[in-house]
Amino acid sequence: MKKRILKGKTMRNLEGSLFILPWLLGFMAFLAFPLLFSLYMSFHNVKVLPFQMKYDYVGFKYFKSILFESSALYDSIIPFFQEAIVMIPVILVFSLLIAILLNQKLRGRMLFRAIFFLPVIFSTGYVLTEFVNQGEGSLGFLERYELSSYLNMVLGDSSWTNPIKQVLNRFVLVLWFSGVQIILFLAGRQTISASAYESARIDGASPWEVFWKITLPAMSPFILLNLIYTVVDLFTYPFNPIMDLIGNGQGSYGYNSALVWIYFMIIIIFLSVVLLFYVRLSRNRSGARR
Amino acid sequence: MSTKLDLVKSKWTLKRGLGRKLGMKNKVRKVRYALLGREINNGLVFKLFLYAIFLSTSYIYIQPVLKMVVKMLMNGKDIIDPTVTWIPSTLYMGHLSAAWEVLKYEKSVIISIIVALLVAVFHCISCGFAGYAFARLEFPFKRIAFVLLLVAFIIPPQVVVLPSILAYRWAGLDNSLVSLVIPALFGFGVKGSLFVIIYRQFFMTQPRELEEAAKIDGASAIKFYLKVMFPLAKPAIIVVFLFSFVWTWNDTYMPRMFLGGAEDVPLAVQMSRLGQSLDNLMKASEMPAYLAEPIKMAASFLTILPPLLLYLFAQRYFVESVERTGLVE
Repeated sequence: MKKRILKGKTMRNLEGSLFILPWLLGFMAFLAFPLLFSLYMSFHNVKVLPFQMKYDYVGFKYFKSILFESSALYDSIIPFFQEAIVMIPVILVFSLLIAILLNQKLRGRMLFRAIFFLPVIFSTGYVLTEFVNQGEGSLGFLERYELSSYLNMVLGDSSWTNPIKQVLNRFVLVLWFSGVQIILFLAGRQTISASAYESARIDGASPWEVFWKITLPAMSPFILLNLIYTVVDLFTYPFNPIMDLIGNGQGSYGYNSALVWIYFMIIIIFLSVVLLFYVRLSRNRSGARR
Repeated sequence: MSTKLDLVKSKWTLKRGLGRKLGMKNKVRKVRYALLGREINNGLVFKLFLYAIFLSTSYIYIQPVLKMVVKMLMNGKDIIDPTVTWIPSTLYMGHLSAAWEVLKYEKSVIISIIVALLVAVFHCISCGFAGYAFARLEFPFKRIAFVLLLVAFIIPPQVVVLPSILAYRWAGLDNSLVSLVIPALFGFGVKGSLFVIIYRQFFMTQPRELEEAAKIDGASAIKFYLKVMFPLAKPAIIVVFLFSFVWTWNDTYMPRMFLGGAEDVPLAVQMSRLGQSLDNLMKASEMPAYLAEPIKMAASFLTILPPLLLYLFAQRYFVESVERTGLVE
């Protein structure tokens, strides 16, 4: 009897392994191996000879020269970070708002949904950069209402003035980045049962309260997912300044690998800070409700 | 007698006045309901507000596309003329045909279609297997494998691209289109791990009774998956297919890295090459902007036209599927 149960379990394990095997092989070939290899290269001076590669160990030389001996990394990464920190909440709030509104019963909402998914098609491509260069990204309302002098007054001379102005100036671009987020929120909104809203209505809750007490808490896993997605998307966007730096780096394999690894570490640190912040925030909120 | 009659009369008028007042109240309430609704979210005011937001946002999304189409159909005179903003005086096809030629459109569009189609189909199949395993099956080190999946999701492709180039060169696949397709066969490639996650979330929402019934019937997992679960996953398949196709179509990073200076490249790469060379020409002021811009617009239009058509065709299924995927638990 025991043997048969054991056999059933190994059988199931075997079947499961069969399903996951291709993916694991792919992981080894397309991720684990290149990841480790690029780590290896970052400690070596790689020379490309006609028929082979030559690796000379150089230790932390590249890491040192990137981190301490030149400012190229910091010059492009700090403004980018500031912009990202302003952009991420804007994207999340905007897409949450649009998703909730799109969920309302409304004539023609299917048409609107179709339009609102358009960014998914454009937002990954070169075409979007074209639009941005065309100046479609700016609404020009900073100039029109002389907001920028006001911003200068409020923010003074701090280094945050520029990124905030940038994001406001390219507000449309921010909207273009929210396509997938709207979809995820919309899918998430479907998971909240209608009965929760009905009982809240019977209890006489105002829509405002319903939003804060029902919609937002139920959406919080999706907010987390979108947060991660947005960060990953912004940081791996092929046209961001760090990508340029990597692309036109000094051409040496070792140097580029070190640069990329530093960037990867920065992303991980940034993600964990963001997650920590998110956990803090949601814990505070749930504490306040109790 | 008369006093009594007066009394009755006054009562009568009182009643009528009251009645009229009540009627007024009813009317006011009716108007209020019509405007604000019984609940805030079905009144007229709220609907107008919704339409206002949707229309302005739609305008933001559609305007650049329209502008692109308009600009590429204008001739040089219209573009310089500041009085012509939206409607060109004549339909000029020169830019379109110029862009067609520079992009080598017939060739690169076929390459793009083949690559994107293969990648999308492979993603639908391979990510489905992995997603099902993560959602429902048991295998050793499942937790670690899931962490690996998340790692795969957040790793920027730039980290792994250099060794991949070397590996492809070692395998003799450099500058070959095969290098773009192979990773998809294993569930990698452009945002592959996201698709695994989408499948996983979908399969998690399916009732467990299905599997128990299959187990009693003695069906093997693979048979059950192919016969029951995979056909059930239609919403997830549609979402994955569309995302994968479009993102692979638009991707310029991987092809630029893997294909280098190859002759036969996908459309998006041709487009970015064209854009860059036009930029250089403009910087060297060998070509005025009013000549270069419309060609760029025409090329952009030609580049996004096929995925746009696919989307227009598939969007009804797509929009429905998004709701039913249960993308996350």
